[in-house]
Formats: sequence, structure tokens, C-alpha cells
Amino acid sequence: MEAALKGCENAISLTLQLGAGYLLFCGLMEIVKEAGISGWMERRLRPLLRWLMPSVRSEETREAIALNLSMNALGLGNAATPQGIRAVRLISEEEKHAPAVRHDLYMLLILNATGLQLLPTTVLTLRIAAGSANAQAVVAPVLLCTAVSTLVGVLPALWIRRR
Amino acid sequence: MNGWIFPALILALLTAAVWKRLAVYDLFVAGAKEGMRTAVQVLPNLAAMLCAISMMRAAGLLDALCAACAPALLWLGLPPEIAPLVLIRPVSGSGALAMLEELLERYGPDSRIGLIASTVMGSSETIFYTVCIYLSASARKNSGYAIPCSLLGMAVSTWLAGMLF
Repeated sequence: MEAALKGCENAISLTLQLGAGYLLFCGLMEIVKEAGISGWMERRLRPLLRWLMPSVRSEETREAIALNLSMNALGLGNAATPQGIRAVRLISEEEKHAPAVRHDLYMLLILNATGLQLLPTTVLTLRIAAGSANAQAVVAPVLLCTAVSTLVGVLPALWIRRR
Repeated sequence: MNGWIFPALILALLTAAVWKRLAVYDLFVAGAKEGMRTAVQVLPNLAAMLCAISMMRAAGLLDALCAACAPALLWLGLPPEIAPLVLIRPVSGSGALAMLEELLERYGPDSRIGLIASTVMGSSETIFYTVCIYLSASARKNSGYAIPCSLLGMAVSTWLAGMLF
């Protein structure tokens, strides 16, 4: 009982923290969007996304997905999550007319759940705080491992879809 | 590193926005409004997840799971000490962060355990949490094959982290 209530209490405090992050980063993202940075990123990601998620039709959905993934890659988790949620909401709308879009939803989930982070800032901070002589020693291994995990996650999904 | 990268990015962004003559303040407020709505929408899912984790922890279930997983990790060439981190990682991001901090402190950030733990933490995601949060915005209530595929990816990259160090 105590543990259960504690969990809900944590949810409230975490929502406050998340809310603060969302306020800041969604605010900044609106500027990023209008400044044309998202458009530039989206064009870079478009061919890859079209191949990975062929059923998504609307431009708005594609933009949200591209924003979500590029922010994730940059390590801006707090900014990436709201964009991902927006993308999922839009995909859910499309699913009413085209059920195959669910595979694209799964692909989006896998890309997010296998993490495409380019610079592990949180880990680096923790390593520096722990007095590491060479905190950056893990940067290249993290890049390799995150690429491998995404690849290993995506390949069976593509296989299942085409079967 | 974190100290200057964020201010620099924000400064670059604001400079670009002002250069393009955008209404920076109005845009920020409009975006923030959207963000607040998202945060409130996500609260019930968060409560369910954290409730389950908190009860499992209090019941000692997490500790028992860790002990049970040690032989499998040794077989994969991984130090058994990272078992709690690998187990908590897909479920709780803050739990994994606390676990990594403890491992770095106990064994040292430049030890084999510290290097593998850092790599596992940096290259993986909070799989269940991420899927739960994202799915809350969808009418769909099942994630199909997304979780098995993601877990497979994490398992292979964890094994790879052990091979690298």
C-alpha cells in the first residue's frame, strides 16, 4: 500500500519535472520549427524514413517523426518525447483509414526504444562526476552499440512486415 | 560538456530566429502551451508504471531477479555486477541512472565493470517506459512486435559492450 502510493507520488513529481522540460523545450522547438531547422533535418531523414515507414501519408506526420528522431539523436530527450507523442497521435489518426500504418507505429517505437543518441551526455556527466581519468573512452563504444541495437531491432521488424 | 553545449545551442537558435525576424516570444509561448498539455496527458501512464516498479522493489522482487540472472550474464562474458542495471534499464530510466552511479562509485568509472555499465547505459533506452508513453497517445493499446525487437537489439548491444572491454 505504502509502496503503491509512493509510486503515484513519484509520478506527480516526475510530471512536474517533465512538465517543466516540456514547457521549455516545446517552446524552443516551436522556434526551431519556424526557423526552418526542422525542415533541413527532415529532408536529410526523408529517404530513410520513407523506406522504414512506407505507409505514412501525411506531411505533418512525417515532419513530427523526423523531428522526434533527430532530437533524440542529438540527446534532447525532453524535446524529442513530445514530438514522438505528436507523431503517434497523427499515425493513430491515419490508422483509421489505412490499417497498415500500425507497422510504421511499431517501427517508430523500435527506433525510439533502441535509442539513436549520438552523444551520451548524461553518462559522460556521471563518469566525470565519478572521477574518471578518461570519461570519453565510452563515446565510440556507445556509438557502435547504439547503432548495432537499432539495426538488430529494425531488421526483424522489416522482415515481419514483409512476410 | 553539458555546461556550454545547451546555452550555445539556444543562443545559436535565438540568433537564427531573430535573423529570420520571427516572433520568438509568441512562438515560445505557443509551443509551451502544447508541451503542458502533453505532460498532463502522460500522468496516468506514469503513475501506473511507477506504482508497479515501487511495489516490486519493496517486495524484494527486483533483488531476487538480479540473483537469478547472474549465471546467464557470466555465460555471455559479462560481469554479473551489471545485472541490476541491465534489468532495470528497460523499465526505469531514473532507476538505471541511480544504478549506474552506484556501480561507478563502487568499482570505479575506468574499471571493466564501470566501462561496460557506462556503455550499456549510454547505448540503450528505457524500452518499456518509452513504448508506454508513446502508446498513450494512440488509440491502439498493444505494441505488436515493437518490444521484442527492441529487447533483442538491447541484448545484442549489451553482449557487444562486454566484447569491447
